[in-house]
Amino acid sequence: MADDVKPTRKELMQIEERIELSERGHDTLEQKRDGLIMEFMDILDEAKDVRSDLDDKYEEAQRAINMARALDGDVAVRGAAAALKEHPEITTESKSVMGVYIPQIDSTKVRKNLDQRGYGVLGTSARIDEAADAYEELVDQIILAAEVETAMKKMIEEIETTNRRVNALEFKLLPELRENKEYIEQKLEEQEREEIFRMKKVKDKKEAEEDAEAAAKEEEDEEVVPADD
Amino acid sequence: MSRTDATEEGNYEYVTARVRSRRSRLFDGDDYRKLVRMGTGEIARFMEESEYETEMNRLGARHSGVDLIEYALNENLAKHFDDLLRWSDGALYDYVARYLRKFDAWNLKTVLRGVYSGAEREAVEDDLIDAGEFSAATLERLTEAGSVEEVVELVDRTIFGDALTAAVDDYEEAGLLVPLENAVDRTFYEHLIAGLPRDRDRATELYVEFLEAEIDFVNLRNALRLARSGAEMDPSEYYIEGGRLLTPADLRRLVANEDQLVEHVRTSIYGDELDEALDVLEEAETLIEFEHALDAALLEYADTLSNRYPLSVCPVLSFVLAKEREVDNIRAVARAREAGLDPDEIERELVML
Repeated sequence: MADDVKPTRKELMQIEERIELSERGHDTLEQKRDGLIMEFMDILDEAKDVRSDLDDKYEEAQRAINMARALDGDVAVRGAAAALKEHPEITTESKSVMGVYIPQIDSTKVRKNLDQRGYGVLGTSARIDEAADAYEELVDQIILAAEVETAMKKMIEEIETTNRRVNALEFKLLPELRENKEYIEQKLEEQEREEIFRMKKVKDKKEAEEDAEAAAKEEEDEEVVPADD
Repeated sequence: MSRTDATEEGNYEYVTARVRSRRSRLFDGDDYRKLVRMGTGEIARFMEESEYETEMNRLGARHSGVDLIEYALNENLAKHFDDLLRWSDGALYDYVARYLRKFDAWNLKTVLRGVYSGAEREAVEDDLIDAGEFSAATLERLTEAGSVEEVVELVDRTIFGDALTAAVDDYEEAGLLVPLENAVDRTFYEHLIAGLPRDRDRATELYVEFLEAEIDFVNLRNALRLARSGAEMDPSEYYIEGGRLLTPADLRRLVANEDQLVEHVRTSIYGDELDEALDVLEEAETLIEFEHALDAALLEYADTLSNRYPLSVCPVLSFVLAKEREVDNIRAVARAREAGLDPDEIERELVML
């Protein structure tokens, strides 16, 4: 219980208002947390698929480049790679999902045609095309994975924050407020009881004084009566 | 150009005898089957005890692992082809030199790519294969060049000079090496047949036929790559003159429709040789198996010519192809083993006769 709680009716009303507000906030935050968890589960499923595709595409790209290096030679592959002039570009924007800003990554110049890769068609083979294709697909998948996994991390952070707030309300703030309310109510009741008792005492005292006064007056009247001779 | 007059008869007997001896030392199917089941260390050891001993020992201090194998293979290849040029005289020298200019083209492209990408001079030097007509001094000057324009200027007096000078403007405009690389490759292929005497003996005619087949296969391979890539490219930029299979008009028409292109090949002079390969191509999503079949068909064709005309340029040419194939196969095995690929998969990828 807070030390600075004043057991007054005003304070009680304020605390009751805060409890009501906190309960409403708690319900809203709980709903938000549940919503976020549902969104997170959807993103998690997507992230699992994206990660699995990423693993497959990485394996495929590695296989393709190993075959190209093996059969066309390391020099030919390095030469073809060095010919690339236009590198992929990435732009990021953000969108709000239940108040959480998650990134949207757009990429350009990742997938290229044969004429955009910079190497000559005459001096290279289909193996190099295949390795380039596989790596372009891999880069696309990495960008998608970055988007989905960053969204997932942001959602987790938001869920944690919301959960901490829900817990703070549920296990800290609301119990304290309720305890304070109970304390004030008890104090007020006690004060009321004391007041009643005090009033009763005053009343008894007043009645006793009145009785004493009446008795004294009666006695005085008896003494004043004259004798018959 | 040639160190002797190309109109003179060549010393075919001497060169073909030397080539037969060299050819007998090439790895056979059993050797490859052993190699694909070895680790990279074992492959290096196997090579140290073979034809490649000198190069492996010489380069062992500078390189290691699969790089050592690849550089030793390149150096050994260069040594053999240098010997061919050294032994040959007259017309034979001219024929061999024409074909070996593919290494000049390779070296020129390697230097251009090195300069373009700002690679270290030593790295570019390591990647050169000194098997063409360019002298060691020319190659050294090329590696010292500081800009693409300087490289073009250095080869001004070679067969590549005019084409490269013409392509420099496109390079400067687009900032891409493609125009220069295409100019180099196109010049090599177009000079293969250009200027050969009109009154040819049968062996020379077959040599020309073989070169035409190589040009046709290059055109076909590129047409299929363009057809599959969906890129909006002008097919004539990649067309090589001198073949019999496709005219520029055919190429423009067929590159838009792969089915028609395949049908065109089926009904062509290569229909029988490439029938199976075309079946594979129609079923497969990738061109790799088809390219594989083209390489095997070319190798087989050269071998057939060499058996039919043992005292001609054909056995020399067949040896050049077989040696190149050996180098490609060993490098493929070593790189593939390093990458942990399955031995059976590697064996399927090797082109063997």
